[in-house]
Amino acid sequence: MSYAILAIVVPAASFLVLALVWPLRHTGRPAAWLSTAAALVSLACAVLALGEAPAMGAPPELLTWPWLVRGGEVIADVGFRLDGVSAPMLVVVTFVAACVQVYSLGYMAEEPPAALGRYYTWHSLFIVAMGGLVIAPNLLQLVAGWELVGLCSYLLIGFYWRKPSAGKAAVKAVWVTRFADIGLMLGLVLLYVQTGGFSWEAQAATSAVAAFLFLGVMGKSAQVPLHVWLPDAMEGPTPVSALLHAATMVAAGVFLVVRCWPLFEHADTLLLAMSWIGAITALVAAVTATVQTDIKKILAYSTCSQLGYMVAGLGSGEMLGGYFHLTTHAFFKALLFLGAGSVIHAVHSNELGDMGGLGRKTRTTMVLFGIGTFALAGLPGLSGFFSKDLLLEQVAHAGQYGPLAILLFVAGLTPFYMMRAWCLAFLGEPSPKAAHAHESPAVMLAPMAALAVLAVGLGYAGGPFGAMVGEPYTFHLTPVGIIATVVGLSGLGLGYAKYGLGKLQGLEVPALAAVVRAAPVDTFWAQAWSRGLLPFAKAIGWFDRYVVDALVNLTGWVAIVAAERARTIQTGRARDYLYAVALGAVVVAAAGTIGGISS
Amino acid sequence: MMGPGLSAYLLVAAAMFGVGLYGVLSRRNLVAIVVSVELMANAANLNLVAFSRFGGHPWGQALALFGLALTVAEVVVGLALVVLAARSHTSLDVDAMSSLKG
Amino acid sequence: MIDWVLFVVLALVTLGGALKVVSAEDLVHVVLWLAVTLLGTAGFYAMLDAGFLAAIQVLLYTGGVITLMLFAVLLVRREGGHIPAGGVAEPARAGVVALATAALSGFAIVRGGLLEGEAYRLEPKALGQVLLGPLALPFEALSVLLLAAMVGAIVLARRKDA
Repeated sequence: MSYAILAIVVPAASFLVLALVWPLRHTGRPAAWLSTAAALVSLACAVLALGEAPAMGAPPELLTWPWLVRGGEVIADVGFRLDGVSAPMLVVVTFVAACVQVYSLGYMAEEPPAALGRYYTWHSLFIVAMGGLVIAPNLLQLVAGWELVGLCSYLLIGFYWRKPSAGKAAVKAVWVTRFADIGLMLGLVLLYVQTGGFSWEAQAATSAVAAFLFLGVMGKSAQVPLHVWLPDAMEGPTPVSALLHAATMVAAGVFLVVRCWPLFEHADTLLLAMSWIGAITALVAAVTATVQTDIKKILAYSTCSQLGYMVAGLGSGEMLGGYFHLTTHAFFKALLFLGAGSVIHAVHSNELGDMGGLGRKTRTTMVLFGIGTFALAGLPGLSGFFSKDLLLEQVAHAGQYGPLAILLFVAGLTPFYMMRAWCLAFLGEPSPKAAHAHESPAVMLAPMAALAVLAVGLGYAGGPFGAMVGEPYTFHLTPVGIIATVVGLSGLGLGYAKYGLGKLQGLEVPALAAVVRAAPVDTFWAQAWSRGLLPFAKAIGWFDRYVVDALVNLTGWVAIVAAERARTIQTGRARDYLYAVALGAVVVAAAGTIGGISS
Repeated sequence: MMGPGLSAYLLVAAAMFGVGLYGVLSRRNLVAIVVSVELMANAANLNLVAFSRFGGHPWGQALALFGLALTVAEVVVGLALVVLAARSHTSLDVDAMSSLKG
Repeated sequence: MIDWVLFVVLALVTLGGALKVVSAEDLVHVVLWLAVTLLGTAGFYAMLDAGFLAAIQVLLYTGGVITLMLFAVLLVRREGGHIPAGGVAEPARAGVVALATAALSGFAIVRGGLLEGEAYRLEPKALGQVLLGPLALPFEALSVLLLAAMVGAIVLARRKDA
């Protein structure tokens, strides 16, 4: 337990030091080292905490203090809860965070010192916030962490604040997730109303609570149609995208469902809806990713797609698949983002058109990015294969064949677009920009290698992971898994044939591109804003101006009129005041005299 | 026959107080008002001395002494204000001083 | 008997003076009639065994305060110090209130069941012991008050901007 506490307290201390000691923060590199050291210590503690964490089913290790108390009864605690769900996630968060912070030492090296210090300050805060979310003993603290990671997301997306697009993207991310958080708040209130507390283990809660909470999940985990903020969030530095917008923060939504599984478990209608929403998200995002030319956008839509996978997996009514896919995805998607960052670092452009032929210059990056690609594609033996297989099998087991069919199609589409990105970046003839590319320094490659190890090997930890989470799991190949593998391999093959070998010119993507353009989600939201929200706000504004304000003005008017009448008492003649004094004295004396004589 | 008792002195003082109050209320000149206030204070002092005499305790006289001093202070400040008012206003008519009028 | 005669005479002097104070139309007369009233009161003090106070009343009050007031009157007097007589309504109203106050006091005195008691003799020595004994602190505080009044009067009278 003490390790879990340290895993959060150490980055918290780092954050406080960086936030309060501005001379240190402005030195840049020392601040970066402090934060990175804290992140590494935090990682070590999280791993040790995982070792001593009780599995689900066993009583969790708790260390809490009363937070909200009403009439002697504790409504909500604040503190630490180490169990089979929180411990693995804590390791995921700290591992990716540590990798990203080390990587950033190289990637962000050319930033001005003050900006670098700011960057690492927010990174330290992010570990605290995400750790607090993961290890929360109740839903209230989880939501507090949820909001804090949202804040970090805002701050880090807008890191290049001189770029107007970065500022807009940061604001957009806040607005979209806040909009979804309305549902989360309603769920929270409803949970309190129904159970008198904020525990997700409360028996009295109905599935309406889960439904409201899921609205928040849709915003945070970028489910259609609330996914629009995630591609824009790529305005942030690439390591930030890897940590927040691929591995951990966007997965917070999925984690919330896993964490609050007792609330979701029996909400059958909601689970079915989750399956469909997840599947549709997976499909839409994957199709969109196929036609992107910006390597980060491809990965962003891919993340969105994989989050859809996780949500659909949870919709099957068993949470192990979704959660397992969350952990494996965190590592290989972070690896992919860091690889993309390495490529961007080499050519100073996000566009695939500016790359090409990088394989010769940046061989290590090519291999590591390839490992990520294959893991995501579900190549047998790599981690993505195991988690995706388990997830699909659970969806099939639940009898949700519609979502299953979509997910299987996406299982083919994913390797296709990933292979496209890999081929266009690393194979073929170098573009003019790519001619002067150079391999990234070791400080960037080492974290990628660490992530690659887990991207390959984590699939084999499914057994212990299942035991930890409380749902036994042993790998066995099922018909669904075989189909998915075949589909995935054909996707890989097609992608390589088309973009690697230059064949299959007949198979073009305009059809898909048309589909993407026909689904103008951003336009939809803009319309919803201007047609729906704005008139609503105007109506409220009218009410506020002419009803609420009128009441306020009425009280003021009454006071003014009363004062106008009352001021005539003040004649300004000293004599009148004296009369008042004399008469008052007479009255008091008379009362005293008569009272004194009669008693 | 006994000499005048406590009530007799108190009645005289009450009458003097009433006369003073009448002066304060009916006069329009500031100096006349200050003088009338002196009458009222004087009546109060007479009460204190009478109580002291018939109560058999010197504290009443001491309080009367304090009262005298207070009245003197009041007269000094009051007359200073009167001089000031005479300088800033053209007349000492209190009815003309109505800047407090609401 | 002689006490009663003295008392009635003093009462007539005092109250008569007081009435002239509130009715005289010349400010100098007003102040001089006040001096008469104060002297009458001093006589009462003497009858009440408060010789010290009577002396103070004559010396400080009648001597000092009346002089001060005369100075003030002469300083501010315009229109020959003549107070224009008000209408009828204002004195009537004031008379009613004043009469009510005095009547209430008189009622309380007559019906209040005061213990007439016998008169005690009080030596000036006793007053001195009280003033320098238990009342020493208020006595000193009073001197501070007088100082403050003096400073205040000087400041007020010296103001040029008023």
